[in-house]
Amino acid sequence: MVSYSDKQLIKGNYAIAEASVKAGCECYFGYPITPQTEIGEYLSQRMYDLKRGYVCAESELAAINMVIGAVSTGAKAMTSSSSCAVALMQEALSYACSDELPVVLINVMRAGPGLGYIYPAQGDYFQSVYGGGNGDYKLTVLAPSNVQECIDLTYRAFYLAQKWRNPTMVLADGLLGQMMEPASFGEYPYPEVDNSSWALTGAKGREGRAIYSCARDEDEHNAKIRRLFEKYDLIAKEETTWEEFNTEDADVVLVAFGSMTRNIKAAMKVLRSQGIKAGAFRPVTLSPFPTERLNQLADSVDKFVVVEMNMGQMINDVKLAVNGKSDVKLVNRPVGEWLSVEEIVAGVKNIIGDKTYASV
Amino acid sequence: MEKNYIIAGFGGQGVLFAGKVLANAFMLAGKNVTWYPCYGAEMRGGTVNCEIVVSDDEVSSVHKQDVDCVIALNQLSFDRFISRIKKGGMLICNSSLIEEIRPREDISYIFSPMTDKAVDSGNPKLTNMVSLGVLSNEETALNVEILEKAIDIVLPEERKKLAKSNMEAIMLGIDKLVTA
Repeated sequence: MVSYSDKQLIKGNYAIAEASVKAGCECYFGYPITPQTEIGEYLSQRMYDLKRGYVCAESELAAINMVIGAVSTGAKAMTSSSSCAVALMQEALSYACSDELPVVLINVMRAGPGLGYIYPAQGDYFQSVYGGGNGDYKLTVLAPSNVQECIDLTYRAFYLAQKWRNPTMVLADGLLGQMMEPASFGEYPYPEVDNSSWALTGAKGREGRAIYSCARDEDEHNAKIRRLFEKYDLIAKEETTWEEFNTEDADVVLVAFGSMTRNIKAAMKVLRSQGIKAGAFRPVTLSPFPTERLNQLADSVDKFVVVEMNMGQMINDVKLAVNGKSDVKLVNRPVGEWLSVEEIVAGVKNIIGDKTYASV
Repeated sequence: MEKNYIIAGFGGQGVLFAGKVLANAFMLAGKNVTWYPCYGAEMRGGTVNCEIVVSDDEVSSVHKQDVDCVIALNQLSFDRFISRIKKGGMLICNSSLIEEIRPREDISYIFSPMTDKAVDSGNPKLTNMVSLGVLSNEETALNVEILEKAIDIVLPEERKKLAKSNMEAIMLGIDKLVTA
């Protein structure tokens, strides 16, 4: 007798879309762009059926500002886009951070810079974590590594956005968006956050409210930004998450984010089977970044090898975390075909100098 | 153990559909599985392919250079993917559209006139399902019950009536007597 799994085989984009519905997203605003168009396509029917809000906006700029408008009223809302179009939203993200609005944004990365191309890449790490908007601000950024996590981290994005009143991004990539894997939705696992103290719901029976991105004077402005950064510190303290594998006795630790996580885990196993004490480390939250844990690991780890589908972006944060205690090297390809397990193994061996292990 | 499959053919031959049925079948067989399509400009007019990676553990990566098994539904796919098959791997060919030659000696071949069989069954569009029948002869994890359930999952509600003809095509692929 065959035992059938209760999971369903689903595309990453559809998984994100349905997860947003289950998380209670009341309004979706978006503009199509490969490789994430299925999110808007799916929601165009689903939101209509549920009598929730759906607008195919006239531009990305319009879409993200519609989200700002919707979440200002206390509604859960999101948009989704990709790389060069997320670039168009940067101004609004700076505003949303300053306004402290629970915007949810999905970025299914394609290859850049410029228009780039539709194959996958991880070139938006800087854009997501450091931002292209003006002023001091930080998004919360979550990076899924498989389709199940596309669901889990979309749920978490809605929760964190509400809990901290801070724009939260799910940073996926074309690989995750297009692939199908078995996954299950379960129920939205987080409590609902009370936003009655700030949401703009009409002033009937109470004092009027307004949400401003700017302060009235210099002192107030300084205080506002300091308060924002105290909040970011709290987010870092409470929400930083990562995964690590075989780091206890590791001489070399592979570091990757998003869907590259799978490849470094497989490469780690191959290296272990060849007698090389390899470990793997994967930030789940890119912002806040697990700086402290990497710094601890650097006490016992000789080398960190950062594996990215870009010219080396997260490696900067790894270097800052390691703070000179260990060597940090890069194995990368700018865009396109994901680095294979064999390429990563070869890259690591090249870096550590295979001489040490010549007898293996 | 991890194993990957590529199904490739013309746009319109049902390559992605067959891949989804296969991926669901492996999932139902209790395996971890990832399905990944070629997408974008490649789809318009040229060949289409999708990769299915199956593993007892977590699937490590997709978009692999080497392939364990290729199902080629047309000559272009045969020519394109033969060099990517691992030593000891398998090439399953639709001999209705592919010349029966064996350029490499380090892989095994199965030639089956899939389109002819599909035409005999009354619908040339079912070439893709015949190919899954042929593959299921080689895969212990696959059987008729699992494939039937997988087709039911993949077919949308309004097309459920096609399940029967899809299964018949799979049976034609499974039937080795007809192949000979």
